[in-house]
Amino acid sequence: MAEKGGKGYLPAKGGKSALKSPVGQDDRSTKSKKGKKVQFEYEDSVESDTPKSNGNADSVKGSWGKGGKGDKVPNGTKKPAVKTHSPVDRRLEQEIPQNSTCLMDCEAAEILQGIQEQMVFLSQDPDIKLPVSFDKGLTYAKRAENYAKPQTVKKILEPLKKHGVSDSEICLIANISPESVDEVFALIPALKPKIGKLRNPLKICLDELSNLKEALAKLKDAA
Amino acid sequence: MFFHIVLERNMQLHPRHFGRDLRDKLVSKLMKDVEGTCSGRHGFIVAITGIESVGKGLIRDGTGFVTFPVKYQCVVFRPFKGEIVEAVVTMVNKMGFFAEAGPVQIFVSNHLIPDDMEFQSGDVPNYTTSDGSVKIQKESEVRLKIIGTRVDATEIFCIGTIKDDFLGVISDPGANP
Repeated sequence: MAEKGGKGYLPAKGGKSALKSPVGQDDRSTKSKKGKKVQFEYEDSVESDTPKSNGNADSVKGSWGKGGKGDKVPNGTKKPAVKTHSPVDRRLEQEIPQNSTCLMDCEAAEILQGIQEQMVFLSQDPDIKLPVSFDKGLTYAKRAENYAKPQTVKKILEPLKKHGVSDSEICLIANISPESVDEVFALIPALKPKIGKLRNPLKICLDELSNLKEALAKLKDAA
Repeated sequence: MFFHIVLERNMQLHPRHFGRDLRDKLVSKLMKDVEGTCSGRHGFIVAITGIESVGKGLIRDGTGFVTFPVKYQCVVFRPFKGEIVEAVVTMVNKMGFFAEAGPVQIFVSNHLIPDDMEFQSGDVPNYTTSDGSVKIQKESEVRLKIIGTRVDATEIFCIGTIKDDFLGVISDPGANP
């Protein structure tokens, strides 16, 4: 079901065929003329809430209902917008809801833990119950058993901002807990164009995070 | 990924709730109506963290109900394409495996599992490498990348891959210590 500007989908006719289609292939180029709709939106597919800067906005917005434009290239003269240098980066920003703040998992764990503790007082009211998604969300947020304070982690990763790393990417790095710089660039391809100026600052941040984690683990063992 | 977001909703309140506890009743109703739901745009609304404002009530013609526009802050969980998540495997079959990351279900097709991993049926279906060193079975923790999302009225479902670098099994419940 497609919401306005949302990420709706319509199933392809041969259910499994959509899943079996290779990842990253240009499905749109083969399907667009036939008007078939892609069952799942793969990383390279173009869908957006916001207009693209290269002027494909109208065709992008109009394509959801018709499903025929696929690649969203008006004249076929330019390459699709998705192939420009940071398609994943643009998609990350598009995907993120407007007027929202990314939360690291440790931040979310802190907030949700606080709410759970308040439930002890509210639990006298039988009508107020925490939903299942709350428990699942809290368990997920606490999975890393990261005892570091979110403010500390944020402070360590703060220097990356001045090198062009967005808030969502910083949260992603904090959640992944990477062990090496190569891991970061492999998992977040949007940062690859900035590999030159990011490598050293990222290494410093990762080393600091690793030291913090070690120190906290030692404290926990000692306690 | 978790987000902190401000949303708005029109809450309808029956006149029997009017009185000095009107605001509390409104907030309770909001929590009951909204927490645990999922919207395609914002994802799973995990918890309400605060009420920003409650607007003026408007009496609806013919019914006597009053509609209040309420702005509230909440924590939502919304997966997005390209995100790396650590999920727990819930089911394995020959088509692939299902995993859960928070409230979100993710499916990893066998086409997006490394080629050197083969499906092994049996009491505990799993995907195993040829040398048996890596196994994906129920309760295994895997790191995967979300490559597609599908939303409907009440849930978000994702497609993931473990075929890229630095993706795959984090921990296996059946592994020897």
